[in-house]
Amino acid sequence: MKRYVIIFVLVIVCSFFIHSWLISIGLFPLAASAQSVPIDQLFNVHLWIISALFSLIMVTLVYSLIVFRLRKGETGDGAHMTGNSTLEIAWTGIPLLAVLVLAFAGARTLGEIRVIDPSALQVKVTAGQWFWQYTYPEYGVASSDLYLPVSRQVDLQMTSTDVIHSFWVPEFRVKQDIVPGRTVELRLTPTLIGLYKVRCAELCGLRHAYMEGLVNVVSQTDFANWISQQQSAAPASPELRGELLASQYGCLNCHSTDGSIKTGPTWLRLSGSNVKLTDGSTVVADDDYLRTAIVSPNTQVVSGFVANVMPDFSTVLDQTMVESLVAYIKTLK
Amino acid sequence: MRKLYSIGLIRGLLWQILGTALGIGILTGIRLIIGLPAWKAESAAVFGALLGSLFFVYGIGAVDDWIKVAAGNEVHEGDESAWGRMRYFGVSLDHKVIGIQYLVLSLVLMVVGGSFALIFRAELANTGLQFLTLMEYNTLMSLHGMVMIVGILVGVAAFMNYLVPMMLGARDMAFPRLNAFSFWLAVPASLILLSSMALGGFDTGWTGYPPLSARAPVGVQMFFLGVSLAGMGTILSSLNVIATAMRLRATGMTGFRLPIFVWGSLATSLISLTATQLIGLSFQMVMFQRLFGMGFFDPAKGGNPILFQHLFWFYSHPAVYVFVLPGLGIISELLPVFARKPLYGYKWVAISSFAIALIGFLVWGHHMFASGMAEYLRVPFMYSTLLVAVPTGVKFFSWLGTLWRGKIVFPVPMLFALAGIVVFLLGGLTGPPNATVATDLHLTDTYFITGHFHDTMFGGYVFPFFAAIYFWFPKMTGRRMNETLGKVHFWLMAPAFIVFSTIMMRTGLLGMRRRIADYDSTLNVTQDHVVMTVAGFLVALGILVFIINAFWSMRKGEVATGNIWNSRSPEWQVSSPMPIHNYDVPFEVVGEPYDYGLPGSVYVKFKEQE
Amino acid sequence: MEHSSKSSVLQLGLLVLGALAVLTAVEFAIALTVNIWQALAIIPLIKAGLVFYYYMHIYRLFEADKDVDRESYAYKLATNRLGLWLFLISDSFIFGGLMISRINLLGLTRPELLQVLGLAVTVVLLISSFFANRAEVSMAYGHRRQFILSLTVTLSLGILFLIGVVGVEWQLAPFGPETNLAGAVFYVMTGFHAFHVFTGVIFLAIVLRNGLRGLYSAEKHWAVEASVVYWHFIDVVWFFFYPALYLIGTLVQ
Repeated sequence: MKRYVIIFVLVIVCSFFIHSWLISIGLFPLAASAQSVPIDQLFNVHLWIISALFSLIMVTLVYSLIVFRLRKGETGDGAHMTGNSTLEIAWTGIPLLAVLVLAFAGARTLGEIRVIDPSALQVKVTAGQWFWQYTYPEYGVASSDLYLPVSRQVDLQMTSTDVIHSFWVPEFRVKQDIVPGRTVELRLTPTLIGLYKVRCAELCGLRHAYMEGLVNVVSQTDFANWISQQQSAAPASPELRGELLASQYGCLNCHSTDGSIKTGPTWLRLSGSNVKLTDGSTVVADDDYLRTAIVSPNTQVVSGFVANVMPDFSTVLDQTMVESLVAYIKTLK
Repeated sequence: MRKLYSIGLIRGLLWQILGTALGIGILTGIRLIIGLPAWKAESAAVFGALLGSLFFVYGIGAVDDWIKVAAGNEVHEGDESAWGRMRYFGVSLDHKVIGIQYLVLSLVLMVVGGSFALIFRAELANTGLQFLTLMEYNTLMSLHGMVMIVGILVGVAAFMNYLVPMMLGARDMAFPRLNAFSFWLAVPASLILLSSMALGGFDTGWTGYPPLSARAPVGVQMFFLGVSLAGMGTILSSLNVIATAMRLRATGMTGFRLPIFVWGSLATSLISLTATQLIGLSFQMVMFQRLFGMGFFDPAKGGNPILFQHLFWFYSHPAVYVFVLPGLGIISELLPVFARKPLYGYKWVAISSFAIALIGFLVWGHHMFASGMAEYLRVPFMYSTLLVAVPTGVKFFSWLGTLWRGKIVFPVPMLFALAGIVVFLLGGLTGPPNATVATDLHLTDTYFITGHFHDTMFGGYVFPFFAAIYFWFPKMTGRRMNETLGKVHFWLMAPAFIVFSTIMMRTGLLGMRRRIADYDSTLNVTQDHVVMTVAGFLVALGILVFIINAFWSMRKGEVATGNIWNSRSPEWQVSSPMPIHNYDVPFEVVGEPYDYGLPGSVYVKFKEQE
Repeated sequence: MEHSSKSSVLQLGLLVLGALAVLTAVEFAIALTVNIWQALAIIPLIKAGLVFYYYMHIYRLFEADKDVDRESYAYKLATNRLGLWLFLISDSFIFGGLMISRINLLGLTRPELLQVLGLAVTVVLLISSFFANRAEVSMAYGHRRQFILSLTVTLSLGILFLIGVVGVEWQLAPFGPETNLAGAVFYVMTGFHAFHVFTGVIFLAIVLRNGLRGLYSAEKHWAVEASVVYWHFIDVVWFFFYPALYLIGTLVQ
C-alpha cells in the first residue's frame, strides 16, 4: 500500500514538474494567427498528457528497477504474478475512453480553425520550383511577396505549376500541401503585425530548402495603401509596365532575360526569332505569337519544353497587360 | 579462381554483372527491333538491374532445387554440418544460418545508412552548404531513410527466422528453400538501391512522391526497383513465418502457450504478407509512368498525385508496425527472464500485437492530413490513429507489471531492453500531437515528425535488436559478448540518442522543416543542430564498439554453452551453439511459458527416448 | 473425395461452369441495359465464391490434422496448401490496389474496348478453368489420359486468352498506355493480369510435361493441384477485372 502512495505522489509531482519545464523552454514560435489560439491550447492539453503519462510510466519503472533489483546474495525468483483481469480491463478501458475524448477535442479544434468568413480577402497563390507568387483578384494586383491585413481572414486559393509544395508559416501554425492540377484552399487570420516567412513544407526538389518567401502582416490602413500603390504603380510606358508585370506575375521565375534556359524558353532575343514547335513546324515569334504564348501557351508548345506547365493567365491578364508584356519582351534584344 | 567461384556470394555477384549487361543489351536490341531510337539509359538501366537481380539469385544457387523439381527430379537436403564457415556465404537451408546471414546484412545496411546520416549531419551542423551539393544531400537523405528501412526489414527477418523455429520446437522453417531465396533476393535488391547514387541520385526522399519522382534523375528508378525486390523477399519470408507458426509447433503448444515473440512475429507477418504489395504497386506505377508515359499521377493527363499517397501509405503505415512489433516482442521475452517473473497479462500482450496490426491497417491517412485529400477522411483517421495507443498502452502496463516485485538483474541485454521501453515511450507519447489533425498541421513535415519516428524506430527496433543480439549471441556462437564493451556501447548510445531525438523535436516545433539541406539562421536552431550532430556521432561510436565486441567475442568471448540466462524458453534447454537440427529429442509443452516464481513448474519436457 | 464418385465430381464441375456462364451472360446483359454498377460489382463476388469453394476447394484449408504425423506426406501437403493460399492472399492485394486505382482514376467511366473480344476472352478463360478442374479431378482419381487431355485443353485456352488480350485487344485498342488515363489503367491492369496468366501457362506446361512422364499419381500430385488452384485464382481476378474494364460505367470520350 505504502508503495502505491509513494508512486502516486511522485507521479503527480513529476507531471507538474515536467509540464512546467516543457512550458518554460520555449517550444513554440510566436502565435500570430487566430488559428494558433485553439491549436496551442490543444498542444497544451497534449503537453499535460505527455507529462502525466511519462511520469506515470517512468516513475513506476525507475521505482521498480531500484526497489525490486536483485540484492547481493539473494536467490530465487520474483513473485508469481500472472495478471489481473480487472486491472487489464481498467488499463484498456480508461485509455480507450481518454483517446475518444481526445479525438473529440481534436475534432472540435479542427472545426474551430476551419471557420469560414465569407468576407475573407481572396489571394491566389501560385507555387512552383522554387518560388511563391501571389495575385489579389479583387484588386488586380500581383506580387512576389505576400502582404496581409491584420485581423482579416485571408482565403488562400493555391495551385502548383509543377510538383507538390506546401504553404507554411510556423507562426500561423496551419499548413496546406499544394497539389498541381487542382486548387486547394487554406484560410487563416493573422493577428500580429510583423514580418514572417512562408516556408515550403513538402520536399519539392533540389532547392526545397530555399523555397521561402516574405509574409508581411500590416495594419488594414497600411494594406489599403499598399494595394493602391501597387495598382497605380503602373509606369508610364508599356515597356516599363510590362517589365513590372513580368516580375509581379512570376513570369521571370520560369523565363529568363539573359538567355539561360529555365522552366520555359528565354525571352532574350525571342521577339522576331524563328521558333521550332513540338509539332515540327517552325514559326516566327511575331506579336501575335507572343500574345498567344501568354494566354494560350498549350496551342504552340516550343520544342524541348512541356505542355501544361505554364499557369493559365487568360483570365488573369487583360488585353492591356498582355500588350505591355509583349512590348517588354520586344525590348530584350 | 575455382575456389572463388565456389563461394556463393561471389558467384551470385558475377552472375548479377552478367545479367545486368545482358539486360541492357536485350533492352537496347528490342528497342532497335521495334523501331525506337536504340539507346535509352533509363529503360536499359531498369531492365538491366532487374535481369541482374534474377541472375544473381540463379547464380548463387537459390533456385537450383526448384529447377530440379520442375525438371522432374528429386531433391535432397545436403548435410550442412560439414560445410564450416563457408555456409554463411552461399545458399544454406538452415534457418539459423539464414537468420545470421540476415543479421549481418542488416548490420551492414545499418552501418551504410547510418554513415549517410553522419555525412549529412556533418553538413547540417551549420547553416549554409558546407561540402555537399543539393543533389548529394537529397540523395544521401533519401537513401538514409530507405536503406535503414530495408535494413530494419532484414533485421526483423533475421530474428524471426532465427528464433521462431527454435521457439516452436521445430527443425527448421516450413519452407527452407523459400527462406534461402527470400534472403538472397535482399542482396541484389540492396545493391540496386545503392546503385541509385551512381545513376544521378534522386531528390524525392524515401517516400518518392510523384510528380517530383516522375521527373527525378534516373537514380530514382533504382530506388523503386530495389525496394520492389526487397519487398518481394519480405513477403515470401513472412509467408514462411506464418506457415511455420501454424504448422510446426511442438505438441501441447496451444495458442496461449506460444512464446510471446511468436505472437509478435505472427502479427508482423500478417502485415508484411499483405500490405507490402502496395508499396511495390505504387512504386511500379511511377516506374511505368516514367517508362511508358502512363499518367496515373500526372495532373497534365488527369492523373491524381494523391492516389499515390493513399496506395503508398496503405503499406507504409502498417510497415512501421512490422518494424516494431518484433522488437516489442523481444522486450516481452526478456523482461520475464531478467525480472524472474511471469510476463504480466500474457494473453492481453499476445492479443495486443494483433490489435496493433489490425488497427494499424486503418490509420494511413494520418500521413496525409495536409495533403489535400478528401476533407471527410481527416477526422475518422484521427480517431483510428489515436485508437492504436490503447493496445500499445497495454504492452507498457504489462511490462511494468512484469517488473513489479521482481528480482531484477541488469546484464547488457536488459539494459537495451529497458532503453527500448524508455525510448519507445517517448516515441509513443509524441504520437498523439501528430494524430490530432489541427496540431499535426503545424507538425507535419518538420523535425518533430522525424524525432517522433526516430524514437519509435530506436525504441521499437534498434534497442531491442541489440538486446536480442547480446542475449542470443551465445546461442549462435557458444560464447558471450563482452559485458564491459556492451555497457560502453549502451552508455554511448542511449543517452546520446535520447538527447538527439528530444532536441530534434524541439527544433521541429520552432519551424525546422525536414528534408532541407540548409536552414534559416533566424530560426535560432543552429546550436541544436550542432548538438544533434555530436549526438549522432556518439551513437555511431557506440555501434562501432558493438561491432568490435561482436568480432572479438566470436573468437575470444567467454565460453557459454549452457543456459546462462536461466531462461525457460526451449532453445535454452539445449546446448549452445544450437545443435544443427535444433532438437535431437523433441519436446512437449507441459506448462506456461513464463511461470517464473512458480515452484516446480516446467514449460517444456523432452520426450523420453524410445 | 472418397465419398463421391469421379463422375459426380465432374458433373459438379460442369454445373459450376454452367452457373459461371449464366452469371457472365447476366452481367453482360446488365451492362448493355441498365448498367447499375452495384449489380456488376456483386456478380464477380458470387462467381469468386463458387470458384473458391468448388474449384479451389478452400475448405481443405480447415481440415483438422493436429494428430497426423508431422513427417507424413499428408501433413506436408496441408502445409503446402497453406503456403499456396497465403501467397494468393498476398497476390490479391496487388489486384486490389489496381482496382482501387481504377475506381479512383476512372470512376464511372470506362475505356473504349472491343466488347465481343472481351466477352470472348472471358469465356475462354472460364472454360479453361473448367478443364483445369477436370484435369485435377481426373488426376485425383488416377485417370492419367483424361488428366493429360484436360490439362492440354486448359493450357491451349490459356494461350488463346493471352493471344486475345495481348495479341489482339492491345493492338486494336484505340489508345496507347500514354494516350490518356483510361489507356494507362487498361494496360496496367491487363498487363499485370496477363503476366500472371503467362506464369500460369508456364506452370501448367511444366506440370503437363512432368505428367506425361508419369511423375504424378492419385495419391501424390501436389504440383497438379497447385498449378490448377493458381490457374483458378487468375480466373477469379479476371472475374473482377472484366466488368471493371469492359462493363461498368459510361464510355469515356
